[in-house]
Amino acid sequence: MKRFWCFFFMFWPIVAFVLCWIAPDMGWWFPSNGPTGMKAASPIGERIDDLYYMILYITTATFVGTQVALGYVLFKGAAMTDEGNEQKVWYSHGSHNLEVIWTIVPACILLFIALYQMDVVKEVRVKSAFPAETKGGTVAIAEVTARQFEWRIRYPGIGPDGKKLPLMPKPQPTDLYTVNDLRVPTGEPSMIILQSGDVQHAFFLPELRVKQDAVPGLDIPVWFEASKSGDYTLLCAELCGWGHYKMKAKLVAQPEADHMEFMRQLTVQQNYDGVPEATNEVAQGEE
Amino acid sequence: MRSRLPALVVVACVAVVSGCGRSEPTFSSRQGLAPAMDEYVRTSIDQKFGIPNDIRVWDRLPLRPHAATAVVGEGAQDKILPLTLVEQHRDLVNGQEVVWVAGTSMPQDSAKVKAESWNAEANLLKLSAAPPAPPKTGDRVVVGPGAVLVHGRALYAEHCQHCHGVGGDGKGPTAPYLNIRPRDYRKGLFKFTSTKEGLKAHRDDLGRIVEEGIPGTYMPSFKLLKKNESQAIIEYVLYLSMRGETEYALYNILAGDYSNDSIATRVKDGETEDKIVSEFVTRVKEGEIDDDASSMLEKMIGDWTTAQTPEAIIVPKEKRYASDAASIERGRALYLSNNLNCVACHGDSGLGDGIQTYSITVNTETQKPNLEPGLYDTWGNKIKPRNLRLGMFRGGRRPIDVYARIEAGIKGTPMPAFGGKMTEQQKWDLVNYILELPHEARTPGTGVAPVTANAAPAAPAAAH
Repeated sequence: MKRFWCFFFMFWPIVAFVLCWIAPDMGWWFPSNGPTGMKAASPIGERIDDLYYMILYITTATFVGTQVALGYVLFKGAAMTDEGNEQKVWYSHGSHNLEVIWTIVPACILLFIALYQMDVVKEVRVKSAFPAETKGGTVAIAEVTARQFEWRIRYPGIGPDGKKLPLMPKPQPTDLYTVNDLRVPTGEPSMIILQSGDVQHAFFLPELRVKQDAVPGLDIPVWFEASKSGDYTLLCAELCGWGHYKMKAKLVAQPEADHMEFMRQLTVQQNYDGVPEATNEVAQGEE
Repeated sequence: MRSRLPALVVVACVAVVSGCGRSEPTFSSRQGLAPAMDEYVRTSIDQKFGIPNDIRVWDRLPLRPHAATAVVGEGAQDKILPLTLVEQHRDLVNGQEVVWVAGTSMPQDSAKVKAESWNAEANLLKLSAAPPAPPKTGDRVVVGPGAVLVHGRALYAEHCQHCHGVGGDGKGPTAPYLNIRPRDYRKGLFKFTSTKEGLKAHRDDLGRIVEEGIPGTYMPSFKLLKKNESQAIIEYVLYLSMRGETEYALYNILAGDYSNDSIATRVKDGETEDKIVSEFVTRVKEGEIDDDASSMLEKMIGDWTTAQTPEAIIVPKEKRYASDAASIERGRALYLSNNLNCVACHGDSGLGDGIQTYSITVNTETQKPNLEPGLYDTWGNKIKPRNLRLGMFRGGRRPIDVYARIEAGIKGTPMPAFGGKMTEQQKWDLVNYILELPHEARTPGTGVAPVTANAAPAAPAAAH
């Protein structure tokens, strides 16, 4: 029986090792219902996943190491009580060297993790490291306002030259509006300005690995890049009130041409004056 | 301590079991009728509308409650019906009930006939069992009776009920925490419609609200609902409105003579309670009350039907005028004019702070002055005129939305219809001005001339 425990404690590191080995291929730990399946739907998201897996490998290695050490000690101890073994019990009063080692080694590992992920964090959060398309976090595609319990979105309108106007900090007569429907072009970084209309919310695109709190009174730039066209989920990830559960929207990534077509459609819809096209003979004024 | 434990467990179990006992949900929240009359209202409403867990659809109502209604065509066999679909609101699938509304197999309470499969190309419906009498050409059948409403009920319970209440009375559990009260459907009134003055809401108006939400209120957007889901919710909301209106109508007929208060007064005046009840029973038997009710219900049904027609929708006679400086200036003049008097509520600068907001106004239903100053809607809530500078347009920000608000007013609120008072150009000028207001820079005026030392003695008030 006494050796049973050695094997019992040796069994778990094997399980952990196997799980860790197959985890990335099984896609257990990441949202996997978007257009890209198990893979993150944005380039930076893939790098975030890599960071996650690196930490998983480090923790698995640590777990296996400590379990093996435990098994070794148990096995040795079990051998001492075997029949005919004359060895006596001995007491230890700690080992300064050992303690230094098990302080320094984890500290180095943690320091390594902290330094290793800095590049990614910088690209996600620090404006000066934002992709060139956002011009250092100054050019946004839309203003997203979180409010209880919906996402209101303001896009800049389309100018006379058929191109998008810049998004101004204050609403403009040409602006276009949608609710719960954020549209971005596929395959290029897009930046939004995140605001809150009331309490704290969080802008969460699970498939793109984007999560940013919306704080009342702050304009927070958030950028992301959808690598594949399709519908993604946009959720609120901060408990914001009784209707938090229903604060769900969609992010639609479309090819550039389709995206512009959507914007043109939206312009037409938003300027709709209730007069059916066929009866336009009396038309006067604009358009 | 140990000896008390079993007793505590028993008490806790009893509390849990009795506390969680489910009572049948009901729609109603009427108050004040005497028991016999309340019972009359209850039964006659239940006949037409049922209860939440057992919905009935009164076939007079202009609803789209069923999966499909159809007429049996030539060559019907026992188990195979050739159908000409009159209306279809859902896919026809295995297991849906098939009910004869007119024809040989009616009534058919005893035998439940179910659909087995539907061949859309040949328009053939295969039945699971033969109906009691052989089907004939021209029979009218309903497939999936109430399927849309049942779907709507489930979705309503999930998304709407906690604010709007089980019966659509706007008194759900979260309602007390909302400053702009959830709509009480029972008056059959909806504020933001595309229909003409005095008309009820079109289905699409409700659809827009469900999809887009109402900015500036607690009504969020439900854009992620599928098309048939929002349709089911709208149908259920219409059903609740009609139910509520029917209940109100019956209540109003009876409240004068038979509310608890009036019965108390009548007893005081020498009548006996039994006599009043027997008088009521006679009136019901003679059909007097049903007649009163049915004329009110006819009107309700007619109103709802009218509002769904294309003629009910506001269509501007002329296209929108260009929103240029001249048009906006003309709109501004109209806004400030005595004729339209927008400023009385919305204020000189469009901030929603007009004089009416702190005046004693007249209650639209009772025609008596309100006790507290300010404006009130038909539901009795104190409301504020819109601050037009916020860029928040509850009924939508499209030009046609603002046009419809001006043309037909906002139903159930003091916002009147101005359609008859203005030319097309004036309407569009005003729309242009209102759409421009959020973007207009507010510049300080030149003010009055400064008070000089010489003028001071002549005008002490100004100097003060």
